[in-house]
Amino acid sequence: MSRPVGIVGVGQTHHARRRTDVSQAGLVREAVDRALADAKLTMDDIDSVVIATGPVLFAAVNQPEKWVVDAIGAQGKSVVRLTSGGGAGFAGALAGYYQVAGGFSERTLVVAYDKLSEGQLQYSISTLYDPFWGREFAVGIMGFSAAYWRARMDALGHTEEAAAMVAAKNRNNAIANPYAHVKKAVTVEEVLASKPLCWPIKLLDVPPISDGAAAIVLSSEKMAHHSTSRPAWIRGMAYCCEADNAAERSLMLSEPLAIASKRVYRAAGITNPRRQFDVVEVQEPYSCFELNYYESLGLCPPGQAADLVASGATQLDGDIPVNPSGGCMGANPIGAVGVIRLIEAATQVMGKNETHQIKDAKLALVQSGGGWANLRGCAVLSA
Amino acid sequence: MALNRVGVVGTAQTELRPAWSGAQHIDLISSVVTSVFKGTGLSIDDVDFVIDSGSDVLDGRSISNCGFLGALGAHHKEEARVEEDGLWGALYGMNKIRSGGSAIGLIVAYSKPSESNVELYWNAQVEPFYQRPVGFGQRAANGIQAQRYLAASGVTLQDLAELTASRWSAASENGGVAMDGLPDIEAILGSGEDAAPLTKMMFARPVDGAVAILIASEDVTRRVSRNPAFITGAGTSMDTHSYAERDGSGLKSAKNAAAMAYRNAGWTSAQADIAEVSGSSVVGELLAIEALGLAEANRGLAATQDGKTRINLSGGALPADPIMATGLVRLAEAAKRLSQPEAYVTGPRRAIVHGAGGVGMQNNCVFTLEV
Repeated sequence: MSRPVGIVGVGQTHHARRRTDVSQAGLVREAVDRALADAKLTMDDIDSVVIATGPVLFAAVNQPEKWVVDAIGAQGKSVVRLTSGGGAGFAGALAGYYQVAGGFSERTLVVAYDKLSEGQLQYSISTLYDPFWGREFAVGIMGFSAAYWRARMDALGHTEEAAAMVAAKNRNNAIANPYAHVKKAVTVEEVLASKPLCWPIKLLDVPPISDGAAAIVLSSEKMAHHSTSRPAWIRGMAYCCEADNAAERSLMLSEPLAIASKRVYRAAGITNPRRQFDVVEVQEPYSCFELNYYESLGLCPPGQAADLVASGATQLDGDIPVNPSGGCMGANPIGAVGVIRLIEAATQVMGKNETHQIKDAKLALVQSGGGWANLRGCAVLSA
Repeated sequence: MALNRVGVVGTAQTELRPAWSGAQHIDLISSVVTSVFKGTGLSIDDVDFVIDSGSDVLDGRSISNCGFLGALGAHHKEEARVEEDGLWGALYGMNKIRSGGSAIGLIVAYSKPSESNVELYWNAQVEPFYQRPVGFGQRAANGIQAQRYLAASGVTLQDLAELTASRWSAASENGGVAMDGLPDIEAILGSGEDAAPLTKMMFARPVDGAVAILIASEDVTRRVSRNPAFITGAGTSMDTHSYAERDGSGLKSAKNAAAMAYRNAGWTSAQADIAEVSGSSVVGELLAIEALGLAEANRGLAATQDGKTRINLSGGALPADPIMATGLVRLAEAAKRLSQPEAYVTGPRRAIVHGAGGVGMQNNCVFTLEV
C-alpha cells in the first residue's frame, strides 16, 4: 500500500503568447513562488524538486533544469528533469508522486513549463519522427492528427460539428480563467467557418502557442496539514504508452489511455466515471482529441462522444463538466499543461477555484498526454 | 513505516565502443532489453514499468523515447523518460517499487554520441545569456577544476596520466570496452592539450552503448535471484549552475548525495568494499572519490592506489563514458560483482555507486548496494 500523497499548494503564471519580460528561469520562478506561497511554505521546506519541460529543442537550452535550479533557489536539493513531449508536466508530477509515495521525500515540488516563443514549435515537433522513414513527409503533428480524426469521423461519428462544440465550449470557458490568454467568445458556427489548416482541423480547433509555467507541491499525509486542511488527494495516477508506428495503430480508442484509466479507476474505486466524477480536466491539443478522451476514459461508450457533447453534459452547468478552465484553448504552454490540468482539478476538489468553481466538487478526473498521441495518462483527485 | 526493499535482479550491457556504426539506437536498446532477463526466469511480460534515460540532443530527435518504445519493451506499459544519467532513472524506479505500486521495473540508458556533436551537447547546457557567449563549457570547467586541484593537492600531471592508464588497463581486463590497445603514460601525456592542464585522454572518452537493469521488490528478488544485491540507500543533489559560485575545493553536491545515501544505508564509505565512480575527467573522478568520503580532500590519489575500498575495478568512466548511461553502467558493474562473488577475487558485500551529470559535474547521485 502506497503512502497517501496530496496536492497542498498550486501556482501558475499568467500565460501569454510571448513573455519578453522574463527568461525561462524567471518564468519558472513565478510559478514556484505562487505554489510555495499557496502551500504556506518556503523552498527550505521542500525535500526534492522535479522539473518538467517539453523537448529541449522547443527553447534551445539542453537540460535546462541545471540553469533553472538557481532561479528557484533549489541548489543542493534533489533535482531531476522528466520530459515526455506534451505530457511532460503530468509525467513530472507522476515522478514526484512516487518520490513521496515511495518515502524518498516528504514534500516534492513539481514545476513544469515551456517558453514556446523561443523556438520553432512545429519544426521541433517534426523532429520526433524517424529520421530515415518518417521525417521526409512529417509536418509537425497536425497532419497526423487530422488523418486520424478523419478516420474517427467515419468509424465513431466524431463530426466536425461535434469537435466545433468542444472548441466553442472550451474557448468560452477560458474567458473567465484569469491565467488564460485567449479570451474571445466563439460560436460553433464560427469554429466551423474558420480557416482549414489541415482539414478537418480548422484554425479554431487549434489551441494557441503559449509561454507559461505551473507548479504544485506534493506532500505526505504527515506534513500536509502545515499547508492546508483540505488537500487534493491523489487516489490513482498512471501514464502509459503505445509503441507501434502510426500506420499500425487503430487510434479509434486511445489504447494507452484506456489502460491507464482502467488501472487508475481500480485504485480509486471508480466504477461509473460519468456518474462519479464532479469535474474533468483534459489536455486537448486539437478539439477532436477531447471527443476521443470521452470514450477512452469511459465517460461514454465508443461512438457516443458526439452525442455527449451535443447533450450539454460537459458544459459548465452539465452533469459532468469537462474543462471548466477552458483547457488548452485558453493557453497552451505545452510542457506545463499536464500540471495546469492537475491544478485546475485540484483547486476544484479543494473548493478554492478562483473563477469557475463547480459546486460541491469532490472527485475530479485529469487526463494528459503527448508524443504522437501514444503517451496518455490520467489521475483521480479527491477532497 | 517500513518501505519495501528493492533488489537488482538482472543487468545487461552492449560493448562500449567509440562508434557502433553498424547499429541504430533501437538495435543497442533491444539488445540489452532482450538479454537482461537471462537467468531470471522473468520476461518482458512480467515488467510493470520501463524508465529510460537518453538525450534528445545527442539523439538529434525530439521526444526520442517515443521512437524507441518498442525496442524498450514498453508497449502498453507505463514508461518515463528521465533526461539525466540512467542512475536517476534507477532512482525513479526504486521509488515506484518502494511505494508498493509496482513489483518489477526495467531501467534502460543508452548513448550514441558518435552520431552527434558532444561539444555542442555540453555547450547547449550552459546558461544562454552570460556564459554561453564566452564559450564556457565542459572542457573549460574541467580545466579549471584540474588547475585548482593540482595546485591544492600536489598531484602531478604524471600522477594523472598514471591513474588514467590504470583505468584503461582495468577496463581492458574487465572486458566490454572496445579499445585499440592500451595507452601508456607517454601516449596519455602526449595526446594533446584539451583544457590545460588536462590532455585529451585525461577526459572521459565518449562511447556508444546501452545498459539495462532489472529491479524488483524484495519478494520477487528473493524468488528469482540466488545472491541478489539490494539497493539500501540513494541520494541525489544538484549544485548551483554558476560555476564561479561553486565550492572550488570539492564536489559539494556529491557530498550531499553521499550523505543522504549513507544515512539510508546505515553505514559509511569506510565500510564499502568496492566503489564504482563516475568522472568527466581524471580530476573529476578524484574529486568524486573525495566527495564520497573514500579519501580526505586532495588525497583521492592514494585511495585509488591502496585504499581499503577497491575503486573502479571496471575501469570507470575514463575509458568509456556513454553519456547519459555512465552512472547506470557503474550500477550494473557493482551489482555484478556483489551478486557473483565467485567470479571475482574480492568477494565484496557492500558497494557505493556514483553517477554525475552537467557541466563540471553539477548534479550527482549516489547509491549503496549490499548483498
